[in-house]
Amino acid sequence: MKKVHIIGIVIIAIAIGAIFTTLNNTSTYADFKEAAKEPSNEFHVVGKLNKAKESVYEPLVDANVFKFYMVDNKGTECKVVLHKNKPQDFERSEQIVIIGKMKGEEFQASDILMKCPSKYNDGKPQETANKTN
Amino acid sequence: MEYLNEHLGIGKIGNIFVILSFVFALLSSISYFFAARINENTASWKRIARISFRIHGLSVIGIVGTLFVMLYSHYFEYEYVWHHSSKAMPMRYILSCFWEGQEGSFLLWTFWHVFIGLILQRSAKTFEAPVMSIVALVQAFLGSMLLGIFVFEHRIGSNPFTVLLRNHPDFANIPLFQNAHYLEKLDGRGLNPLLQNYWMTIHPPTLFLGFALTVVPFAYAIAGLWQKRYSEWIKPALPWAFFGVAVLGIGILMGGAWAYEALSFGGFWAWDPVENASLVPWLTLVGTAHLLLINKTNAQSLLAAFFLAILTFVLILYSTFLTRSGILGDSSVHAFTDLGMSGQLLIYLFFFLALGIVLLIINWKHFPKHAEEESIWSREFWMFVGAIVLLVSSFQIMFYTSMPVWNKLFDLHKAPAKDVITFYNNWQLPFAFITTLLIAVGQYFKYKNTELKWFLKKIAVPFILSLVISIALMFALNFDQAYFSILLFSSVFAAIANANYFVMVIKGKIRKAGASIAHIGFALVMLGVLISTSKKEIISRNTSSKSVESLGETFSNDANIILTQGDTLPMGKYMVTYKGKRIEGIHIMYDVDYFTRDDKGDLKKEFSLAPVVQTNPMMGNVAEPDTRHFASFDVYTHVTYADLSTSNPMNGAEKDEYDAPKTGTLSRGDSIYASNAVIIFDSLTTKVDKTLYHLEENDIVVQAHLTVMDLKTSYQAKPLYIIHENMVQPYEEKVDALGLKLMFVKLNPQNGKVDIAVQEKKSNKRDFIVMQALVFPYINILWLGAIIMAIGSLLSIVERLRKV
Repeated sequence: MKKVHIIGIVIIAIAIGAIFTTLNNTSTYADFKEAAKEPSNEFHVVGKLNKAKESVYEPLVDANVFKFYMVDNKGTECKVVLHKNKPQDFERSEQIVIIGKMKGEEFQASDILMKCPSKYNDGKPQETANKTN
Repeated sequence: MEYLNEHLGIGKIGNIFVILSFVFALLSSISYFFAARINENTASWKRIARISFRIHGLSVIGIVGTLFVMLYSHYFEYEYVWHHSSKAMPMRYILSCFWEGQEGSFLLWTFWHVFIGLILQRSAKTFEAPVMSIVALVQAFLGSMLLGIFVFEHRIGSNPFTVLLRNHPDFANIPLFQNAHYLEKLDGRGLNPLLQNYWMTIHPPTLFLGFALTVVPFAYAIAGLWQKRYSEWIKPALPWAFFGVAVLGIGILMGGAWAYEALSFGGFWAWDPVENASLVPWLTLVGTAHLLLINKTNAQSLLAAFFLAILTFVLILYSTFLTRSGILGDSSVHAFTDLGMSGQLLIYLFFFLALGIVLLIINWKHFPKHAEEESIWSREFWMFVGAIVLLVSSFQIMFYTSMPVWNKLFDLHKAPAKDVITFYNNWQLPFAFITTLLIAVGQYFKYKNTELKWFLKKIAVPFILSLVISIALMFALNFDQAYFSILLFSSVFAAIANANYFVMVIKGKIRKAGASIAHIGFALVMLGVLISTSKKEIISRNTSSKSVESLGETFSNDANIILTQGDTLPMGKYMVTYKGKRIEGIHIMYDVDYFTRDDKGDLKKEFSLAPVVQTNPMMGNVAEPDTRHFASFDVYTHVTYADLSTSNPMNGAEKDEYDAPKTGTLSRGDSIYASNAVIIFDSLTTKVDKTLYHLEENDIVVQAHLTVMDLKTSYQAKPLYIIHENMVQPYEEKVDALGLKLMFVKLNPQNGKVDIAVQEKKSNKRDFIVMQALVFPYINILWLGAIIMAIGSLLSIVERLRKV
């Protein structure tokens, strides 16, 4: 057996290892109902902030807890306890992704991703006040 | 409708340049293709090809110039100009807005290819025709990305000169365009404020030059296969490959420095898909360059050299596809929008991949055969192993980064794990370990074969020295992660062994030292990355209030400190005070002072930092860090939450108004808190001098004695409880120094308890911020290493050029 063959076998073994660990080291996109079925697993839940209900952030009590209500893409509402600071611009988010586990009635999130509208002020051509010649 | 004052002529000129650049790139490629075949017309084909490429080059410069004039003159009738610039934007950012858009960045890439092509025309000699045929073909493909024409309902490319704002489908029916004078009222959307810094001026051109340089080894490899000159292509491609390694490496590190200085990811590297997309081709390019080096004299591993040279260029196209197609979506902070060109990009990618693979399969059998296997004690063997390690390492990164692609292809729903960074770190650490180890010993192996005794004798001293130094370092740094400590050793070993090689073996001859110096630089980069990442410390523990752990097991994330204006709290080895905010345009700066205690225990001010929140009209609010650099560590801070109202409560007109009262029932010795003071109920008395308070003889009066204390002073307050003609009469006692109003509202004669109401001035409500602070130790080793690596690479390129 040539050295090249040995190297080849090692490479293939590592590559297969990389593929499998990668596939295992992922979380899954789910909705609240699916997350509730497997409370021991971590999920990514995509949805929208329920702006009708109050979201609570009291940094002077604890800057690392932020509670709000979110509606997932299937329409299920759930209370979310985010163990992080309230993200800047939270209310303007179009879509949010929370990462965490279901615990009883609440979703305990350890992280949040937000998709903000990329074009504020509509991003449309507007008249400006100052006229130039 | 006739619109007034539009500058449509310049767009037509630009469009002519776009068409010329595409047509002549194609013509040049075809002519070079025929010139590459030896026949009686070779010379004339070559003449046509050369002239065509020069016309193509001039057209690209024409496109660039025209777009600059349009940006400079604020011709907002063009969507690109409107989208990326505005009247208010300072002119020093004109370069940034030039390449902020996708069309501009393709243009930048094309622009570098033109220069590379012009140099190759002069330097490639017998390889000129086949190599330039490939380069010109790449240029034709890239040029088509700017065409913006429709072929069978499909749009090819996006043309900044033909897309007028008023014709843009997104902005149809906007009343502004009913007005013939609309241009007089129009301002541009402007460059994203986040990109208005010098990094945006220097990072993209460096990175794109790095990208552009990968075309040269690729074109040489294809030319080598095509003309069956299997090992001749290697020598001329070599300096280009190393130049690419240097430039792309600097470009990537610049990106890291930018992220560290100006963005709040909390570090210089986050394994973000866009970062990975530029790192992976760099790794394969490093592999390519080293394979070229070993095949230069002894063509033992040609297949691998061809494969990596082709793969690197294809990976550049794949990276472009990943970052430009919008497929990364949520998983990246670098959001690029799709201009509908991802299909086109994929076609090019598969075209060049197929071209390379097919040529490789056809030619593989004809590669020169070597009866003898290379010795295990040879430099080429270990360099080959190193290149393969880099390939496997980049495979792991690319496979994970491509998760959104697998999701799309196989209809999966995989999301990246929460802690992607740890996952990548753990996977990449063994690769980094082997790589640095190979860097350490590599040069001590000789080509062909090494006498083992000589090798051991030479390597022994640096090995033992490195062992001692790294153990000392582990103690000094309190380095307890066993897994990371192997990389600590191998990085130190790589630096020391190469320094030793430079001094002892090549006797300090600077001309031969390029490789050693570059390797020392790389080893220092790894060392800096390792120490600053693994010993990174979050010093902003929440020292102010309730513990986060009480909420339960896994979710303790107490990385943030709350700083109330004026208070001084301990944070790491500092005492910190939030002084207040300043507002400059769209930036809100939060001034925080850092103190240490001197020998007497007094506070001594060390420095101030002002992390920023940018109220960005295009992206929402963005936190920008502020970092204090010391020789041995950095203090890196950014605001995670703050009140963004631009009026300062301290200056508002309402500051003298009082808030609603807060009432407490107190026994003797009890206290009630105001936001700036403690109020203690000491005693009651009925002995009051009524004349002093203008009271009547029959009034019943009880006086409470209160002590009001803030951090420094204590005040006495004596509110009265007055019953005048059977009515409780209001009486207010003020402590003006603290902005407090105290009222004695109820007396319980049975148990002697009193109700005290406290009202505070609105100005007492102090501003606060939530901040995160990290200490990165020895991060300067990283930047120092980067500079040394660049110097070493340039030295070795200069030396290689002398030999060509």
